[in-house]
Amino acid sequence: MQPAPRLEPPPEAAAPNPSAFPVATSRGRLLLDRSAAVLVRAGGFAVVFSLVGILAFLLVEVAPLFRGANVSEPRALSASAGPPELLLADASLARLASVAADGRVTVLDAESGAVQATLPFPVAGEILDVGDAPGEPTFSALLGDGRVIVVPVDWRVDYGEANARTVSAVLGTPVELPLEPADATVVAFSARARASGSAAAAVLSDSTLVVVRRTVRVNDFTGERDEQLARFQIPSPEGVTRLVLDSDQRQLYGADARGGLYWWEIAEDGVRTPRISQTGAPISALSLLVGGRSVVVGNANGDLSIWFRVQSGRAHAELVRAHEISSQGSEIRAIAPSWRKRTFAALSADGSLGLYHSTSERTLWRGKAAGEAAVAAVLAPRGDALFVASANGVRAFDVRNPHPETSIAGLAAPIWYEDYPEPTWVWQSTGGSEEFEPKLSLTPLAVGTLKGTFYALFFAIPLGILGALYTSQLMDPRLQRWVKPIVEIMASLPSVVLGFLAGLWLAPRLERYFPGLLLLLVASPLLALAAGAAFRALPARLRGRLPPGTEVALAAALLAAGAGVSIVLSGAVEGMVFGGDFGAWLQATTGLAYDQRNAVVAGIAMAFAVIPIIFAIAEESLSNVPKTLTAASLALGATRWQTLARVVLPAASPGLFAAVMIGFGRAVGETMIVLMATGNTPLLGWSPFDGFRSLSANIAVEIPEAPHGATLYRVLFLSALLLFMVTFVLNTAADLVRESLRRRYSGN
Amino acid sequence: MISLTAGALAANLLLVGGLVALVAVNGLGHFWQADIAALVQSDGTTLLGEIADRELDSDESGQPRERWRVAVGNRDLGGSDFRWIDASQVTGESWPSDAGVLEREEWGRFYGFPVAIRNGESVRVEGTEPVWAALPELLRENRASRAAKVDALAAEIRGLNGQIERLRREGRDTNELQVRYEEAASALSAREAELLADVLVMRTADGREKAIPLSQVVRAVRANALGARGKFALYGSRLWEFLAGEPRESNTEGGIFPAIFGTVLMVMLTSLAVAPFGVLTALYLREYARQGIVVRAVRIAVNSLAGVPSIVFGVFGLGFFVYLVGGSLDSLFFADRLPTPTFGTGGILWASLTLALLTVPVVVVATEEGLAAVPRVVREGSLALGATKFETLLRVVLPAALPGVLTGLILAMARAAGEVAPLMIVGMVKLAPSLPLDGEFPFLHLERKFMHLGFHIYDVGFQSPNIEAVRPLVFATALLLILVVLSTNLTAILVRNHLRRKYAGSAI
Repeated sequence: MQPAPRLEPPPEAAAPNPSAFPVATSRGRLLLDRSAAVLVRAGGFAVVFSLVGILAFLLVEVAPLFRGANVSEPRALSASAGPPELLLADASLARLASVAADGRVTVLDAESGAVQATLPFPVAGEILDVGDAPGEPTFSALLGDGRVIVVPVDWRVDYGEANARTVSAVLGTPVELPLEPADATVVAFSARARASGSAAAAVLSDSTLVVVRRTVRVNDFTGERDEQLARFQIPSPEGVTRLVLDSDQRQLYGADARGGLYWWEIAEDGVRTPRISQTGAPISALSLLVGGRSVVVGNANGDLSIWFRVQSGRAHAELVRAHEISSQGSEIRAIAPSWRKRTFAALSADGSLGLYHSTSERTLWRGKAAGEAAVAAVLAPRGDALFVASANGVRAFDVRNPHPETSIAGLAAPIWYEDYPEPTWVWQSTGGSEEFEPKLSLTPLAVGTLKGTFYALFFAIPLGILGALYTSQLMDPRLQRWVKPIVEIMASLPSVVLGFLAGLWLAPRLERYFPGLLLLLVASPLLALAAGAAFRALPARLRGRLPPGTEVALAAALLAAGAGVSIVLSGAVEGMVFGGDFGAWLQATTGLAYDQRNAVVAGIAMAFAVIPIIFAIAEESLSNVPKTLTAASLALGATRWQTLARVVLPAASPGLFAAVMIGFGRAVGETMIVLMATGNTPLLGWSPFDGFRSLSANIAVEIPEAPHGATLYRVLFLSALLLFMVTFVLNTAADLVRESLRRRYSGN
Repeated sequence: MISLTAGALAANLLLVGGLVALVAVNGLGHFWQADIAALVQSDGTTLLGEIADRELDSDESGQPRERWRVAVGNRDLGGSDFRWIDASQVTGESWPSDAGVLEREEWGRFYGFPVAIRNGESVRVEGTEPVWAALPELLRENRASRAAKVDALAAEIRGLNGQIERLRREGRDTNELQVRYEEAASALSAREAELLADVLVMRTADGREKAIPLSQVVRAVRANALGARGKFALYGSRLWEFLAGEPRESNTEGGIFPAIFGTVLMVMLTSLAVAPFGVLTALYLREYARQGIVVRAVRIAVNSLAGVPSIVFGVFGLGFFVYLVGGSLDSLFFADRLPTPTFGTGGILWASLTLALLTVPVVVVATEEGLAAVPRVVREGSLALGATKFETLLRVVLPAALPGVLTGLILAMARAAGEVAPLMIVGMVKLAPSLPLDGEFPFLHLERKFMHLGFHIYDVGFQSPNIEAVRPLVFATALLLILVVLSTNLTAILVRNHLRRKYAGSAI
């Protein structure tokens, strides 16, 4: 890395104006001259354009993150025969199935609304009620004889002539689950079916809960199917009116009209007693988000909240209200979750419709479903369309909703994620399954950045500024000519080399000799003082004859020896102060663990990159302090140190401040060193012995895997934008400070 | 207190010197062949290898002990390349003159004693001494026959592959070529099998025998019988292989030529792109602009551009150059190859342009200094003789300011050569199948991905499974990178100092 090159304003007036020298000139030459002027001006502006262009481009890439959903005006699809009870959409948005109260399935063209087919319910019998299965292409029906039938809806794609794609709905083999309610009637039910098994749960009018489970085991060898039917019955709390079973068929959630939210666990051998939470208002709609962990609750006041189970204690878990959505104003009738993201739509009794996201608690869109009371709503599996059914037919909304999961608060404030005991800051962009909840908090990364920067500046500020002070004020000018290029060379050391040395050479050694480093930190100022004292103790005659730079060489020799002795004594210090093992001592006294690649290692390596920048700018501002000032101070009898501390330092302090700011900017943006010298763990914490991940390293780690245009991609652009803004502000401020400083002293 | 400032400066200088010395010692040591030791341990086992490290340590009870790190190789026989042993457990130490080390195409180094050279079932040479005597000639023979038989065929297969790919894109029949391709491929595998028939049988220190095909042996070194001259010759040969050879074993062995080539080519392209941009800006600031708000804006832009973290340029390069510009180019000109991107993915062109943006401030600052040093009287003389402003610039001012422009370009090149983070996302790869410059039309393949010294350090040092074994190679690469960057920087500093001295008296 080079030191940030600084551009200075010209000390003299611009070049003379050629028009002051009127000379007869041919037209061609004049033309050439003018076009050259245009070209050069354009080139000059190109730098401004690139800077503004980079900023604008980053902004354009980031902006969609904070836009709400784009929902079209509704299209009316033709009225289906009979009022639909629930809807099922095909992922390619070609077809829509609407299920009537009598179990008949009407397949509509999702574009034109034309009826494609009408399929009768595959099982004979009187149908009392139908129900959906959030996130799965099935629906279920309750028959008068107490059987629950789960019917899969398969979307079959055919490619006809000329590759014309036609989609048709086919009802799969129905699964039968006998509830055997005896004399009681079924108040609420929920059922699911998948290849490995199916289950139905129902609350009966005699306050019992019945769960019927059909497990299917297929012998891979013989192809033999082994089906087992289990029926569990336990007493149920009074008044449960709604049930929803999760897709694993292991958790059952229920709601009553008084606001109670119930959660039963269905184990292999039975149903556990329910855990009950009070939501505060009568629950009117209940659904599950993708992954089956989050329960969306809509109540009679139009409020929406998301609940999930949180472990409190070893064995105890309960449902907690993790997210709240601003009220929709009127009783929630239906909740339609997306199959891919934690987005859901909610439909109110007054026909108002909203699109929300659970994690970010964002209201993405609000609108009106229809004039008349709507009864059912469904989000297409990819979340790109919303269908709302009312007594008069179905309306379709096209939805564009690419980035529902980010909000400004969500990027900075703690967020309560599923499976976490409390709201927290987490960066975890990708997970193992499709149901993964992305956790995109920039806070741990920003804290990591600041932590690394802090340790870098901790080493770099004293070394850089004190070194510059000596070089500019006390050093023989002949030596200055050597020292400055050496520091420039230090600046040019590629950061990948620094990172490599820090990660593979320094980190293991520091782990062994950390007490030695502490010893060196204490000893090195003392050694420097000792070197100075020794130098001054020499007789003045001898001192005068020594070559310039002897003082520095003496200090260097003592410091090198000090470093060696510190390493040798490290073991002894460890034994005396830290009980023989620094890592164990640290763990025992502070509870901090010692990572081999930690913030101190990265800080030392980053200091290498920052020192030359601070040194160069500090040296320049110190040199700019007029010699007349120092001369006057010395003439008045001040000592060298008094002159330095009371005259030179105050005069140059804005420049030193600018040096620190620019050094800060450099450390904030450093990527390779952080990547290589820390463990890259995006965990929030200030411990110097932990690794960290900075914003910049995070970009380098994640952007090669981020799909173009996805939320993660844009969030990484947002971190780049943050880095850009921070460094831009720091640099511009530092520039203004230095310019005013220069103007103040330019008169001398 | 003054001593503290001197101490701080001394510490800075120590840090720089120590770092460069550390890299130099470790990097240069990589090519040196140490003697091979046979170490008999108290449990009766014998280790054969090079003692890489000796360090003092304390054991569980706090007693000091000496530990040796021994490079034992033989990864394919199990275990790792390095073994830590307790020095007090070593009961016998000898330096057998017939022991040798083989550098191989696969599995790293092999330490052992040669037993015989066989071809299939028939024994060609037997006995340690005869094998050592015959080995160089047989290796050369094997290599020559490989070059004659295999390499030409492999090149033909590559050509056929390219043709088939082209025909397929154009939607034409590829059957005939497919047949030829199959034939060539089967001939190739037959010849390779033939070459594998010549094997060198080696015996390890613990008496196991291992047959290694001669075509797998890159170099066979009888280390303890080399003598000083032999060792220096070996050092030179290894250094040459490192600089000019192809990488082996996913970059962890062999040379780094493609990385050097990629770095140099990218730096060249960068300087081509940045030169006009930077020089025009400097000309504008110094020669054309009137001081005012616009000039201040340009100056702030230049200084801010210099302070923006390099990774931000990488992100911009990915979004703008790769996806926006590259994606548009693909859909306009390379639609037949889609969805395989041509320019719509990282490549050397986008890397160079990204770095050009990054290095503009360096060029602007140096060029401005160069322009400022041109004395006003020279310009006025030219104008007085009737030259236009442009003619004055082109014939008088720019030639005089050329050292400044050069300084800027050299500094920009040094910066570009050392920068890694933005390149990781706009076109650098661990292992590029082909160089961006070759004999195939249009010779310079701007869309290709490339290898880079800095990325090589990151990738080999941090992503390879056997860090212990690759560390010396990474040190050598780091040393090379430092040398490249430092020498370009020093050149720039010298040019600049020369410039300053030349015009020191004449500035007005």
